[in-house]
Amino acid sequence: MIELLQQGFGAVFSPYVFVLITLGVAVGIVFGAVPGLSATMAIALCLPLTYSMGPATGLSLLVALFVGATSGGLISAILLNIPGTPASIATTFDGSPMMKKGQGVKALGIGVVFSFLGTIFSIAALMFIAPILADVALSFGPHEYFSIAVFSLTLIATLSTGSLVKGLFAGALGFAFSTVGIAPVEAIRRFTFDLPSLNGGFAMLTVMIGMFAVAEVLKFAESARSSHRAKPQNISMKGVKGFGFSIKEFISQLPNATRSSFIGLGIGILPGIGAGTSNIVSYIAAKKRSKHPEEFGKGSIEGVVASETANNAGIGGAMIPLLTLGIPGDTTTAVMLGGFMIHGIQPGPLLFISQGPLVYTIFAALILASLLMLVLEFYGLRIFIKLLAVPKHILLPIILVLCVVGAFGLNSRIFDVWAVLLFGLLGYGFVKGGLPIAPFIIGFILGPMAETNLRRGLMLSDGNFSGFLTTPISAVFLALAAASVSWHLVTVIRHKKSAAIELMRS
Amino acid sequence: MDTYKRNELFAGLAMLGAGVAYMLLTANLPRRSFVDAAFVPWILSGALCLLGVLQLLAWKKLPQQRAEPTEPAEATESIDYPTVIKSIALVTLYTALLEIVGFAIMTALYLYAQFIVLTPADQKVKHLRYAVIAVVSAALIFVIFREGFDLMLPVGLLDF
Repeated sequence: MIELLQQGFGAVFSPYVFVLITLGVAVGIVFGAVPGLSATMAIALCLPLTYSMGPATGLSLLVALFVGATSGGLISAILLNIPGTPASIATTFDGSPMMKKGQGVKALGIGVVFSFLGTIFSIAALMFIAPILADVALSFGPHEYFSIAVFSLTLIATLSTGSLVKGLFAGALGFAFSTVGIAPVEAIRRFTFDLPSLNGGFAMLTVMIGMFAVAEVLKFAESARSSHRAKPQNISMKGVKGFGFSIKEFISQLPNATRSSFIGLGIGILPGIGAGTSNIVSYIAAKKRSKHPEEFGKGSIEGVVASETANNAGIGGAMIPLLTLGIPGDTTTAVMLGGFMIHGIQPGPLLFISQGPLVYTIFAALILASLLMLVLEFYGLRIFIKLLAVPKHILLPIILVLCVVGAFGLNSRIFDVWAVLLFGLLGYGFVKGGLPIAPFIIGFILGPMAETNLRRGLMLSDGNFSGFLTTPISAVFLALAAASVSWHLVTVIRHKKSAAIELMRS
Repeated sequence: MDTYKRNELFAGLAMLGAGVAYMLLTANLPRRSFVDAAFVPWILSGALCLLGVLQLLAWKKLPQQRAEPTEPAEATESIDYPTVIKSIALVTLYTALLEIVGFAIMTALYLYAQFIVLTPADQKVKHLRYAVIAVVSAALIFVIFREGFDLMLPVGLLDF
């Protein structure tokens, strides 16, 4: 392991990759900081840049974007009182009051340092847990993979924001879109309308760029003409020592940071929920355990520490199911999966055997990106503040053009650009109808995995469905899937008079 | 009917409509055995229709007037659909003409038009600045991706 990690560091410290990771972190921070842009969008848009790069270089750039964008949200959360990404919602609770009290630099310093610690903790966990889990997953067959896919799909549908019915519908619709193209096993064409372009189905990237980036532009258009720009306040870095807080304050926050790291990691591993949930959960936990809960919401550093440590601890957590099972835990890792596949790499347990050096290069890139994030985000703050002031009516159309480039670059055909537009309209429809997008994306990605393994599993057990229940691990995951839906239903029915109304609003 | 209830009705109808459409398409798939290429689509179309019906049932049980609207009336009124429609039209036109006219020219034209459409009402449209940003951005993206990353973006009319 040490040898592989050394090789990994050797790769990421080559001048070209180092510069790419630095740029990736910087661009990621901007995407995280600008409200409306996200880590998912940053990775999706930069994917075309990696087409001509090698897998190690390309994936290093993508993980750098992931680290930068997850952390960048704290800048606008503290300076504008607007979370740049959902991962920084709880940062606004205390970060913004600290800013108003004239402690903006301190809030940013705390946020950046504990973001770094959260990321490093999660990378360490990833490096120790992932190889062990990959070893276990090597023994998995079609029955297990089918059940894990079903479990992940139900979990994301029940845990995502919005109603259970809409969450399940979104997941099923994503699955339905994944059935377009040549079917597994029999290889007959389904839903292609005799269009050769549809034989291969919709590309994962076109779905994601459309659903996230194009839909975001259309959503912005709704209020663009009446929008008023929030101007970030300027802060002075004069006379600031270190990161703006004392060693005593740092040490006093370590128990809080440890707890928040575990919360962030645990929630990050689960499919369907990630940093958007963990920052709030750890904030609540920190408030409950605090000696001064009354100071929360008024500018307590504990609140900033809890939120920022937890959201970044989700980075390693979300990478665990992606690398070991090939299952993305959230939309950001879903795009990462797309990045792997563009470079001809299939994440899963075999990745650790067939592509060991690449896996450890990714680990090394994550560590280097975290270090660069620590330095760039704090000391390059003024530049990021200036970029926050770029008007969105200029920024978003340029982003849309980059979406078009990304889609076209997949196969050099206009069909993929039309597909992006189609999914953009669908994504906008989802926003208007209150349907969550994440289950759709995960349904689209896990659908083929579920169907292929269902067919293979049935072939192995001579067409007998009981094979999925007699295989212990498969049975456990199917039971967990049933339990997650039942638990959600019972909670809804118990708490409200009308189950039907609540199904929709819960 | 309040806006929330109307939106929930439209969502239910769209969900059921999508389910029925998918079921009709599934019905055209050839069958070979019980578990074949149409097996999963049949399960999915059943699930989509069922969830659409559940959504409509839930809508029916919603009270006529909700005591507390989820979003203030102001927020609902501020949705500027003409700008959304203009933006969709621009993107559609951009995609349709991309191959014929070429990436660089179409991108510059699209960006310029889209900047104007999205300019906040309280700000002046700065034609010269928008044109410069549009042309420079289009040229930079074209050169970086075509020359730097070997991405064969369509040249269209610029193919001398």
